[in-house]
Amino acid sequence: MYSYFIRRFLLMIPTFIGITFLCFTVTRFVPGGPVEQAVLRYQQAMAMSGEGGGGTSGSDMEQGQISEEMMESLKAIYGFDKPFYEAYAIWLWRVLHFDLGTSDTYSRPVWDLIKEKFPISIIFGLSGFTLSYMICIPLGVWKAVKHGSGFDTGSSIMVFIAYSIPGWTAGVLLLMLLGGHAYLDIVPSGGKDSGFINETSKLAMFLQEGAQVSDIPETIRKEFPKLGDNQTINASHPAFKHVPAEKRFKLKTGNHSDLSFIGRTLDTMWHMILPVFCYVLGMFASSTVLMKNSLMENLGQDYVRTAFAKGLSERVVIFKHALRNSLIPIATGLGHMLSIILAGSYLIEKVFNINGFGLLGYDSLIARDYPVTLGILVIGSMLKLFGNIVSDFLYCLIDPRIRFS
Amino acid sequence: MANPLLQVKNLKTYFRTEAGVAKAVDGVDFEVMPGEVLGIVGESGSGKSVTSLSIMQLIPNPPGEIVDGNIIFEGTDLLAAYRQKDYDVIRKIRGNKISMIFQEPMTSLNPVFTIGDQVAESLVHHKGLNPKEARDHAVEMLELVGIPSARERINEYPHQFSGGMRQRVMIAMALSCDPSLLIADEPTTALDVTIQAQILELMLEVKAKTSNAAILLITHDMAVIAETCHRVVVMYCGRIQEIADVKTIFHSPQHPYTQGLLASLPKPGQKVRRLSTIEGIVPSLFNLPKGCSFCTRCNQKLDKCETVPPEMVETSPGHFVRCHLAKPMKSA
Repeated sequence: MYSYFIRRFLLMIPTFIGITFLCFTVTRFVPGGPVEQAVLRYQQAMAMSGEGGGGTSGSDMEQGQISEEMMESLKAIYGFDKPFYEAYAIWLWRVLHFDLGTSDTYSRPVWDLIKEKFPISIIFGLSGFTLSYMICIPLGVWKAVKHGSGFDTGSSIMVFIAYSIPGWTAGVLLLMLLGGHAYLDIVPSGGKDSGFINETSKLAMFLQEGAQVSDIPETIRKEFPKLGDNQTINASHPAFKHVPAEKRFKLKTGNHSDLSFIGRTLDTMWHMILPVFCYVLGMFASSTVLMKNSLMENLGQDYVRTAFAKGLSERVVIFKHALRNSLIPIATGLGHMLSIILAGSYLIEKVFNINGFGLLGYDSLIARDYPVTLGILVIGSMLKLFGNIVSDFLYCLIDPRIRFS
Repeated sequence: MANPLLQVKNLKTYFRTEAGVAKAVDGVDFEVMPGEVLGIVGESGSGKSVTSLSIMQLIPNPPGEIVDGNIIFEGTDLLAAYRQKDYDVIRKIRGNKISMIFQEPMTSLNPVFTIGDQVAESLVHHKGLNPKEARDHAVEMLELVGIPSARERINEYPHQFSGGMRQRVMIAMALSCDPSLLIADEPTTALDVTIQAQILELMLEVKAKTSNAAILLITHDMAVIAETCHRVVVMYCGRIQEIADVKTIFHSPQHPYTQGLLASLPKPGQKVRRLSTIEGIVPSLFNLPKGCSFCTRCNQKLDKCETVPPEMVETSPGHFVRCHLAKPMKSA
């Protein structure tokens, strides 16, 4: 069995190379890459400075102005000057040394960016995942036990609704209903805590970047002891993130970093309600149905009848004998969930403007920030590969019949 | 005569399905004496398994339901509590006073618990033994049913046991609480022929060594009946057709169905080109004949068989037949 897992670990290497080679190659050949974008930015800048409102014919003329040397140096900057296989080898060598390169848009090491964003996504993903299992398993069990009852039918309707709405779509809908945009104003419209969300708050619209702190009304300034009079307002200022107190819960009146520990926790939790709900929604239907079907199937097994024939109560038969067996598919899904947490997070983090791993990946794809995209691919595929092994391991652990050899 | 251990009176178990009501067991009466081996024999769908599951109240409900009758075990009517939805009564008896062995040894054990856990479970549950004592007793039981190096194998899982070994485990499990009745529902059907004989012998052997439990043996195999049983109940279409001791059944069967069953057995030393069969098929439980349920296949059918259901008659002491041809014995 140990040899099986050693083999699995060794197999990760060619799989990893396969994944990254394929994706790396695609980034080299797909049009609209960083070099082309840089050229485009350059042309736009030239057009703006040159004729002011230069039309399409003008930009055609500008294209000729990019010299060969400029192209070469641009390619060298973005690492496009070498053939793709050589570039890949260099990239892979650096990855092996934990060097994922430097982001084109943030001008920071990709590794640092990922380290910074990863915990945010993990908190959201894990709480969504934990919560969904905490809801799905008991619900699935109860549905199986009460199969055919009104409760079963009613909850099945819920499951169908949840199944037909992707988590992030529900997020958009809920933000519209509850996020203070159109109807109710009871949850924040995004972000991971108040420090972020209020940059786009209503007060922020009245404040302009570059204005003096002394311009802020006295009533609001009182709440920010850390603000100095001679400072100018920029997006990172607490005051910029302020929202009138009477409009929100008390929790929301301050800047996140000005709150007490409990306040910060509550503030974070309050920001997590909707995104986590969307995570749960995404996993809810399939997990519940899986749990129910798995238990139903096991309740019909001969060994359940044997357990009843021993004189055990229904509770013991269901929760000891049948449940243990029906948890096998659920538990083995745990490993795969690792990567699903991240995959699902792309769109949910975008909708809720959570500055996490998923949003980083999404933005890097849009901006063609290939070092970040590939860095996220590295982490993502490693997680997926590890997740698969974790699944196998859990399988061994729970089901004595499975012994890999 | 001693008091019967188990009395089944007018037992009716129906299954309500979309196609209609299937009267799987429709008025069954029999008794099991302490320590005896009673065989119930019949074709598939004759209601023999449903009868045994009804005694244990293991009929899946819905669709199945015990609609009428009494099952009196050691003086208590088990169905009285069942009707009041009081399942504690049967729970205390199941696995303790009455235990059961099933047809499928391959699937009847829980794959994720060790053999030891599963055998010890009912001991802890019914006898209140602590886990250590229960384990020791489980080892004794496994040794008794002939599992080699039981003390080590107790920590193994069912998939590490062969079918015959698993059925031995089932027997150990069933007999561990010294039951007074053991219901064996086709215990050998799924096993190899060589193992079948071993398992039957073992059941009788272990029964003799332990509390001398009565055995209710359900089978479709007349040979098994001949080898093991004291008395035989022949069932057809949810009704008992004939009850007699095993010698009488084999030597002077009175019901045409029993006669047909026996005629279909191959006889050693006789060369025949084809074994004889009972013509026709078992009628659908949804659409049973008005009269005798065997009339569609009977080779001695009378006119009234189609319309008048025959009553059970005692043709000689202890020999009951449900047939219009049977002559009641002269009352003394």
